[in-house]
Amino acid sequence: MIVVDEYLAVRSLVGDLPADLPDDFLGVPISAHWRLLQRIHAPGNGQLSQLLALLPENDREALRSPHPHVVEILDPRPYLDEAAQISARFGGTGWLVAEAITAALHHGRELWYRNERNIGARTRIIAAELGVRILVAR
Amino acid sequence: MTTGDNLLDEFRRARRTGDPRITPEGREILRRITSGDLADEFADSLAMISQNDPALGSDDQVTPTA
Repeated sequence: MIVVDEYLAVRSLVGDLPADLPDDFLGVPISAHWRLLQRIHAPGNGQLSQLLALLPENDREALRSPHPHVVEILDPRPYLDEAAQISARFGGTGWLVAEAITAALHHGRELWYRNERNIGARTRIIAAELGVRILVAR
Repeated sequence: MTTGDNLLDEFRRARRTGDPRITPEGREILRRITSGDLADEFADSLAMISQNDPALGSDDQVTPTA
């Protein structure tokens, strides 16, 4: 299982995965999927939101409930306590960072992103301390 | 190839093909958002969602420009 960000999760749905992404099952943390859902259900006024509003219903449904054979929404419950420990130990990271790091610890010790801008500074620091590799697919 | 190899290959192909519900029109929109001209705007919008949701955590990403 490879833990991926929102970009790679969406690209998996359109069948456009980067060639350098390892060939394995894909999982997206539930907090990342939550952000994607927020973007769909609470669009803003920018060009991005206008474009998302044009998505056909079939596509919206695929984004809302991805088939697990394409990308799985990871269940955080088994490692919720570990995520809370990580958050507490590193000064209160918030759910997004704690869940991503913990998911990576349980699934290959790697976090895969598509866009550098989607990698937070604290994620980089904590990942390095815990031996989780941050990788960007091209 | 063994039965297991064949099955794993089927899984791999299904994974690489993507979701069959995605339409050609939707595919083009989603490609623009994830790897085209709107990729950075998408990152900013995700960061903004985190900033507005204290449970997610607000200070881990780039500062949204939009």
